[in-house]
Amino acid sequence: MVFEDIYRDYWNKVFRICMGYVNDADWAKDIAQETFIIIWKQLPKFRNESAVGTWIFRIASNNCLRQIERQSRMPKTELPEQIEDKPDPDKEWQSKLLYKCIAELPETDRIIISLELEDVKQAEIAKITGLSESNVRVKVFRIKEKLTQKFKQYEQ
Amino acid sequence: MSNNIDFKELWNRGKAGAPDISEIFAKADQLNRKTRNKIWRANVVLSLTVLFMIFIWWYYQPQLITTKIGLTLVIVAIVVFLATTNQMMPLLVKTNVETDSQHFLEQMIRIKQKQEFLNKIMLTGYFIFLSLGIFLYMIEYAGRGSLTFQVIAYGITFAWIAFNWFYIRTKTIKKQQKAINDIVDRLEGVNKQLLD
Repeated sequence: MVFEDIYRDYWNKVFRICMGYVNDADWAKDIAQETFIIIWKQLPKFRNESAVGTWIFRIASNNCLRQIERQSRMPKTELPEQIEDKPDPDKEWQSKLLYKCIAELPETDRIIISLELEDVKQAEIAKITGLSESNVRVKVFRIKEKLTQKFKQYEQ
Repeated sequence: MSNNIDFKELWNRGKAGAPDISEIFAKADQLNRKTRNKIWRANVVLSLTVLFMIFIWWYYQPQLITTKIGLTLVIVAIVVFLATTNQMMPLLVKTNVETDSQHFLEQMIRIKQKQEFLNKIMLTGYFIFLSLGIFLYMIEYAGRGSLTFQVIAYGITFAWIAFNWFYIRTKTIKKQQKAINDIVDRLEGVNKQLLD
């Protein structure tokens, strides 16, 4: 497993998970970079006991959770501004709104739904979070409901 | 308004061009240097303090064993104090980020509690060693003066130590405790989310 390949394949995935957690592009970039530094350092010791994706997402999620120690920074809560210069401004705005809604959820919900949206299998999410698979299934269902509600509320 | 929102499509729009890989290496290097500098600085300060004490020892040539013990205790106190204030603690405890969230949160809570305990012990130890050290160190030199001089010298010193013990120490411990408790509360809150 070459670090360069991991970096190329996983940068956006890790960034999105961090973005879902903090809804602040610069901050998310910082957390993502820290995550890749750890991956780079630990890679020689990684022994395919778990899938590489699970391993990477574990480090990313824990790095997000570590932000709890930083009291001063809170996820961004203002509504995204209208975007005009992108090809699909409406979708772009909705995407920003989605990240805002996720960042407003409880910390662990943010991680679970981010992993779900990243197409990580629920069995893997269970391994990443330490929950049982059935628990993950229930949680994903509830979080999606909550998220839809929130999203529609803001969209109105 | 749409009823079925395609969250996945919206989610996948979140992208940030991956910074050049050299940026990651540079940042890792910078972090390493920072840690190294921190250790280095702490060591220099510690060595200078100890050197200064040895200089006093050598220059004034104390006669009594109490003075020597006193100086040693003061050195120990300063070393303990610097170890705490330099926040070398994170260097002493390693976190495992490769575990699952639940274990990670529990681990963070444990580390914080350990840190709180160590802070308290170290600060109390610092004051005890420093006070005892000063008391012993003074015996030789105060003994050379008159009784009034001795009473005044010890009186002032102990008033100062008492003030530090009862006011500064208590206040500092409380402040540290509050900061750590706040974090522990938040960590526990998040951990509870997983159990719900």
